[in-house]
Amino acid sequence: MNALPQSITPDLTVDLAPKNPRELVLQNPVIAASGCFGYGNEYASIIDVQRLGAFVSKGITPRPRSGNPMPRITETPAGMLNAIGLQNPGIHGFIRKYPRQWERWEVPAIVNISAEAVDDYAMMARLLDEQPGIAGIEVNISCPNVAAGGYCFGWDPDMSADVTRAVREATTLPVIVKLSPGATDVVGVAQAVEASGADAISLINTLVGMAIDTRTRRPILANLTGGLSGPAIKPVALRMVYQVATAVRVPVVGMGGITTLSDALEFFMAGASAIQVGTAIFSQPSVLPRLIDEIGVWLAAQGIPRIGEIVGSAHPARLEPVDDELEMVNAVAAG
Amino acid sequence: MGDAAIITLSAPTGFASAVRAGEFVDILCRADTSFDPFLRRPYSIARVDRREDTFAILVRPYGRGSEWLVGQPVGAEVDVLGPLGNRFDVPAKATNLLMVAGGVGAAPLMMLTDDALAQGQSVTYLMGGMSGDALLPVSFLPGEVEYVVATDDGSRGHHGFVTDLVMDYLTWADEIYACGPEPMFLSLRRVILANRMGKRPRVQVSVERTMACGLGACLGCVVETRSGMQASCIDGPVYDMDEVVWS
Repeated sequence: MNALPQSITPDLTVDLAPKNPRELVLQNPVIAASGCFGYGNEYASIIDVQRLGAFVSKGITPRPRSGNPMPRITETPAGMLNAIGLQNPGIHGFIRKYPRQWERWEVPAIVNISAEAVDDYAMMARLLDEQPGIAGIEVNISCPNVAAGGYCFGWDPDMSADVTRAVREATTLPVIVKLSPGATDVVGVAQAVEASGADAISLINTLVGMAIDTRTRRPILANLTGGLSGPAIKPVALRMVYQVATAVRVPVVGMGGITTLSDALEFFMAGASAIQVGTAIFSQPSVLPRLIDEIGVWLAAQGIPRIGEIVGSAHPARLEPVDDELEMVNAVAAG
Repeated sequence: MGDAAIITLSAPTGFASAVRAGEFVDILCRADTSFDPFLRRPYSIARVDRREDTFAILVRPYGRGSEWLVGQPVGAEVDVLGPLGNRFDVPAKATNLLMVAGGVGAAPLMMLTDDALAQGQSVTYLMGGMSGDALLPVSFLPGEVEYVVATDDGSRGHHGFVTDLVMDYLTWADEIYACGPEPMFLSLRRVILANRMGKRPRVQVSVERTMACGLGACLGCVVETRSGMQASCIDGPVYDMDEVVWS
C-alpha cells in the first residue's frame, strides 16, 4: 500500500454505468436501498438526503397497488421480515408526483420497477426514459412471472435475460438489475443479465422467510411469508456479491444487512463498486451520512486515494502477496 | 398497573413545547452496538413539562424493548426519534371530553387530559383492564378528572368492558378520545353506532401498529382508511373512527 500523507481527501466517486453515455456517476458509493427510503423526502427532515451517493425509490408497478393486509412486518433476530406487497401509486401516479420534485435535487434518484410480465417492465422503462429528475432504473426481478405460472423471473437466467433485454430496448437510462438470492445459480443469472445489456447489477434482494406466533399457532405476517433483511443476511449477501463480482465486468452494487463501516468495507472488498443500505436506516437514519464519513476517513487513514482501489481486493487473483502467501491463498482456493 | 412505570426524559430545548397530545417518539431500546431488539419502539407521549423541557412515557415491561428501557439506570442516555405522528384534534368550543383507555393506551390520553384541563375543559377518564392491577393508578391523573374504571374480573369498578360505561356519557361528551387494543375500538364503535337517538359525539382513536421506520417510508404500519392505506406513523396514529375501515 502506498504511503500517502494522511491529509488526502479520498476520491469516493463511482460510475455505475461506465458504458452508458447517460452515465450514473455518484459522489460517493452509499445508496439508500429500495423500500427503506420511501421517495427520498420522508427522511429530508432527519438527514441531508443530498449528501447520499444516490437513493432508490420504493418499487413501482404498472398499476397502483394497495399492498398486503396487516401485519406486514415483524422483528427477527438481527433483522426483520416484511411483506409490504409493493404498496405504491403505480407508474402513472408516480410520474405525476416525483420526477418534477427530484429534478431540483442534486442526489441521483433511481427508480425501482417491478412487474409480473416482460411487456409491463418495458412499458414502465419507456415511460421513465423521458422523465426529468431520474438518474437510472433498478429492475426488481424478484417478482412472479404470470406467464410462467408465477415462477420468479429472478430465479431463472433466461427469464431474467428477457426482462433485462426488454428494459434495455425501452430506455437509454442506466439500468441496474437487482438479483434475487432465491436463484439456485445466481452467477448464471448475473451473466445472463449482463449479456442482455444491464449497466450494473445489484444484489441481494431479501430472502424469503417466516415467523410463527406460538400463542395463535399461525404465521405472524398476514402474507404468511416475508422478505428477511438486516444483519442476519449479511454473510449470505456477501458471499453472493463475491461470487457475482468474479463473474461479470459490469459494476456490482452490494447490499444485505450493511450497518457498520466494517460491513461496508467487506462488500467493497468482495467486489461491490457501491453499496446499498436498507434496513439499518429504520433503527438509525444517521447510518447513511455516518457511513459516507467513515468510508472517507478510513481510506484517508489507509492512504488509499480512491475507493475503487479496494473494490474486489478480497479476491485471491487481486491480491499481491509475497510468493509463499500466494501459494497459501491458491491452496485455500483449491480447497 | 402496578408494574407500569412512568419514565421521564430530558429533551433538547424546545422539544417539549413543540409536542402535542397524540404524538409519539420512537426509541431505540438497545445499545447502538447491539441488534436486539432490532427495531425502535413507539411510545406515546404521556406527559410534558414545558418549563423543564422534559417529557414522560408510560412503559409496562412486557416486551424486550420495554424491559430494556425499564432496566436503564437513572441518568442513562437513550436514542429518541421524534416527536412523530399527528395529534388529537380538540375543538376550542368543546367543554366535555371523554377518554376511553385500555392498557398502555392510557398514555396519550394522559397528556390530552392535562392539556384539556389547562384549557378549562372537563374530562371524564374511563379505563378498562383485565384486573385492578392493569389499571392506571389514580395518582397518575390530575385530581380534577372523573376517573371511572372497569375490570374483566370485577376486582375493581364495573365488572365488564370499559366500553360498557361509555353509554352513560354519550349525552355529556362533546368529543370522545380512545386508545387501546383493537377489540376495544370495535366494541366502542358498536356502542356508538347503537346510539341512534340524540347526540353522537365524534370519536378519535389512536391506533397501535408494529412500526419500522416511523417516518412513512416503509409502509409497514398501515391503517386501511376510506382514503386508502395510510402509514399510521405519519398520517396517524390518530384517526377519526369513521375514517377507518374496521374489519
